[in-house]
Amino acid sequence: MYMFKYILKRLGLMIMTFLIIFLISFVLIKRLPIVINVTIGQDKEIIEATLIARGYYDPIPVQLINYIKRIFQGDFGVGVNLPEYRNKPVWDVFVEKLPPTVLINVYSTIFSVPLGIALGIFAALKKNKWQDHVISTGVMVFISVPSIVTAFLVQYIFCFKLKWFPLTMKAGFDYFSPSMFRSMMPAVIAMSFGSIAGYARFTRAELTEVLTSDFMLLARTKGLTRGQATLHHALKNAMVPIFPSIVGEFISVLSGSLIIEKIYSIPGVGGLYLDSISYQDYDFFMMLSCFYILIGLVAAIVIDLSYGFIDPRIRMGAK
Amino acid sequence: MKKTLKYVLASAILVGTLGSLASCGYKRDFSGNYTYNTFTAVSPSNWNELTYQDANDTQIMSYIGSPFFQYDYEFDKDGVPVPGKFVVKYGAATALEDVTVDYAKDDKYDVPDDATNGYAYKITLRKDLKWDDGTAITAEDFVYTMKEQLNPDFKHYRADSYYNGSTVIHNARAYVYQGSSVMNNAELKHATWEEGKKDAALKFDLTNSTIGSWIWGDYAAPAEAKGPAYVLVALGCEAEQAAIEALVGKSPAEIEADPALKAAFDAVVSFWKSEPEEELSLFAYQHVYPALDFDAVGIFAGKKSNELYLVLDNPLELLKEDGSLSYKAAYNMSSLPLVKKDVYEANKVAPVQGSTLWTSTYNSSVNSTASWGPYKLTSFQAGKEYILERNTNWYGYGLKENDKKYQTSRIVCETIKEWNSAWLKFQNGELDSIGIDVSIAQDYKNSSQAIFTPDDYVGSMQIQSSVSALKSREKDGVNKTILADVRFRKAISLSVNRDEYNQTCTTSSKAGYGLFNSMHYYDVENGGVYRNEDVAKKVLCDVYGVDVSKYDSLDAAAAAVTGYDPAQAKELVTAAYNDALEAGTIKDTDKVVITFGSGADNEAVRRVFDYLTNALKAMVVGTPLAGKLETEFEDHGAKWADDFRSGAYDICTGGWQGAAWDPGYFLLAYLSPDYMYSVAWETDKVQMTYTVLGQEYTMSLIEWYNCLNGVAGAAHNWAEGQVANDVRLGIIAALEKEILSVYYTVPLQNYFSASLKSYKSDYISRDYNTFMAYGGIEYLTYAYDDAAWEEYCKNNVLDYKA
Repeated sequence: MYMFKYILKRLGLMIMTFLIIFLISFVLIKRLPIVINVTIGQDKEIIEATLIARGYYDPIPVQLINYIKRIFQGDFGVGVNLPEYRNKPVWDVFVEKLPPTVLINVYSTIFSVPLGIALGIFAALKKNKWQDHVISTGVMVFISVPSIVTAFLVQYIFCFKLKWFPLTMKAGFDYFSPSMFRSMMPAVIAMSFGSIAGYARFTRAELTEVLTSDFMLLARTKGLTRGQATLHHALKNAMVPIFPSIVGEFISVLSGSLIIEKIYSIPGVGGLYLDSISYQDYDFFMMLSCFYILIGLVAAIVIDLSYGFIDPRIRMGAK
Repeated sequence: MKKTLKYVLASAILVGTLGSLASCGYKRDFSGNYTYNTFTAVSPSNWNELTYQDANDTQIMSYIGSPFFQYDYEFDKDGVPVPGKFVVKYGAATALEDVTVDYAKDDKYDVPDDATNGYAYKITLRKDLKWDDGTAITAEDFVYTMKEQLNPDFKHYRADSYYNGSTVIHNARAYVYQGSSVMNNAELKHATWEEGKKDAALKFDLTNSTIGSWIWGDYAAPAEAKGPAYVLVALGCEAEQAAIEALVGKSPAEIEADPALKAAFDAVVSFWKSEPEEELSLFAYQHVYPALDFDAVGIFAGKKSNELYLVLDNPLELLKEDGSLSYKAAYNMSSLPLVKKDVYEANKVAPVQGSTLWTSTYNSSVNSTASWGPYKLTSFQAGKEYILERNTNWYGYGLKENDKKYQTSRIVCETIKEWNSAWLKFQNGELDSIGIDVSIAQDYKNSSQAIFTPDDYVGSMQIQSSVSALKSREKDGVNKTILADVRFRKAISLSVNRDEYNQTCTTSSKAGYGLFNSMHYYDVENGGVYRNEDVAKKVLCDVYGVDVSKYDSLDAAAAAVTGYDPAQAKELVTAAYNDALEAGTIKDTDKVVITFGSGADNEAVRRVFDYLTNALKAMVVGTPLAGKLETEFEDHGAKWADDFRSGAYDICTGGWQGAAWDPGYFLLAYLSPDYMYSVAWETDKVQMTYTVLGQEYTMSLIEWYNCLNGVAGAAHNWAEGQVANDVRLGIIAALEKEILSVYYTVPLQNYFSASLKSYKSDYISRDYNTFMAYGGIEYLTYAYDDAAWEEYCKNNVLDYKA
């Protein structure tokens, strides 16, 4: 019951926070001056007339009310300034571009979470031995190297030299075909290096600390083998901070990676948000803002709640 | 004229020509699959002729339409293209007749009674024009499309192509604007104040009136921050700001009736008025455009279904005296927009909540696209890839003359934003051409597959012209107004080694010295390139201080122009600085801080910034300003040009492109406050004296421009066709010299693009032809079909260095 009330309270706060950020975003983007670029001989008046007809010069509160009415009619608007998406419904564009971003990030997470955690466990168990040093060095390298370098190296070695994969992602909407999967692999590999290194480092640090805890000694003295103690006691405790980061990563997959998508020509949503601001495309900006604000707020709640599921000791108590 | 040369050329190149190649000896194989693989950094989104906005959209447009009239190579007897030559041929039209005399006395179209040619044309279309689904195309389809193009509910982005350039269809503008209202300055309605002050529709206005244009043009920043009335007070108007603001929206009669308003008005008049009737400059009025039936617009179908008539407001000489097509036929009347009625109607989108604007999704996806060109769209994924395949219903494939052309069976264009990824694909044989990036220029610029393409773009350094803006950004110990001294600006110009600049900052561009380059023709029909003429060469010698008498010839003198003279630059800096010191506009402890602005902050921009910084710092070494000049960088994003014009920073690099065959018109970019970077340079007040046809005239620069282009109301009409081209050439050169001599625009770069061509395909000629470029997809030949090329790439390493 307490948990239910807590969730309701968090949801209420979430909605309030969403509305405040939504309002700030709308006002700020509308406060930016409207730039009209005309080429030689172009009729500036008709371009201005177009903007007036779109309501861009109406008072901001009027525009806000109209925008909210449109949202309730299920209309998020059409692209106006973004060169690649002019005259296209922004929601349709977003929905069309979301699957490749999500798939690549999901594949990367599926690939990197077990591998990263396994390496972390292995390094923790082999603490200060050569295996630990090798893993830790690799972790430092892949955490330090920017993803743009990793992505180019993967592209050059695996795609250009070895020709194992295509240089860029395949066109089309057959996202689950073998050829599409193969064409996504370079991006997945490039994205995974950093994640694997991150999980390995995090897991090693947490597990190392837990392994030296008193209760681990107790577990061993009770007669558990090292493996049993590690699996049932140490790892479970170490997962308390690790699991929320996995949940967080799953949610962040919706935002995409600007660099990876650019290098592998992935028609995803990475960069769409930034472009919407650069080109001052109101409908794109607001739709993406709403989406990401909502995702961010939901993620925060899910992560907080996840602590309680992983570790029963973390529960809402009665006052 | 706003259709750029590029677009016209692209259209001309990409679609069919009737020219016979049977005698040229080209044997092309059609049995295999020949895919042209290319890429774009920005995917097209809107290839609707009525609304397209940029060059990316024209990628697809160029393939799915057909021209009425088009350029083609002129071939020699061996079937080889003659360098620099061209012919104009019929495409989707079979005849063009000048029918001006039939309409000269028809009041409906306002064609001058004595007009004999250039105002009205009859275009006879081919009878076998079809859409890709086989539907026949008639003249009525073009009329319907023009009606939609000018539809006032849509206010289409390209509507002004038919009223704001050189192709002005009668009543096109009035049709677009019908029902809308605009604020006009009072001078458009009344000639005298005596008449105007009785008009209750006139309202005191500090935005839409003439004084408003002046305030917002020259003092945009303070006007935006504190209001236009504040600007007047700050500049010395003896009325309080609130009193001036109280005048806004009042009619002359209302002002006259209220003593307080009258006092404020008199103070503003006293501040502003220097010529008779200038009280009118303070007023504006609302003008509502009347409703208009499309029947009154100068485009209609004839009695036969393939006859299309056009009546123009400005004459266009589309035919030569012998009745053959002039170059203008393919330039100004290459085609008219065409949409497929049923598809277009199905893609109309009604205004959304809060908007009154209709929009269209026509030609933005495969289903909404219709083709009447050589290729049709068969696949499109936004931001990823589009595919075009042969349109078997295109009339051109049925012509014997085209039997040996259009070998390309399929065009695949992938969106690749990262150049390095595209470069790897090119080396893998997956792309058929790629632009040479500056990072590989040294290794590949001598490749046998390297292609260098000239461009009409002239890149210049733009220097801030507004003294008030410079002053407003000065602070203790920081001076900027030294930029207002023409000697200092000239010193900046002389400090840039243009050859070195282009080698350092560009892949393949060359030093630029003038407003025009080798792509600008003043006499297209006779191949007259402006820059090759003596008067144009003399301009550069004069501006850059090359003494012609010291050389054997003008050509030798012009060839000696480098624009780089560090010694003279230092003398000019010293003189400007000492005079400023004496005048008290700079202190000897002041630093000069020059702010560079840009639309982005990336490696290429920083390269330019670093180069110019070093040049400026070297300029002051050995002068009293040594060690006291600094630069700073600001990224102004998409509004960089507007910011520069409003005085937000000091120097930017920017330029203009377009109207390469009409340099007289193109001067608009450097003389009109609507376009010029140096908006504070008052071209309506700078006088120029020049002799035309034996008579000396003294006029302001903008008046010279108006005469040169036959603008309505100008004192003379020296537009093309009205006086000999060499007369116009002289005026253009004189104006170019005036513009260059104030050093607000300092040309640095004549743009050249460099690309590598794969071994799979090749152009008909490696000689660049202004009218045909390299022949485009129409003339593209293939050494390998798709299967053979794939096999070749598997077994060979593609090396393009040799």
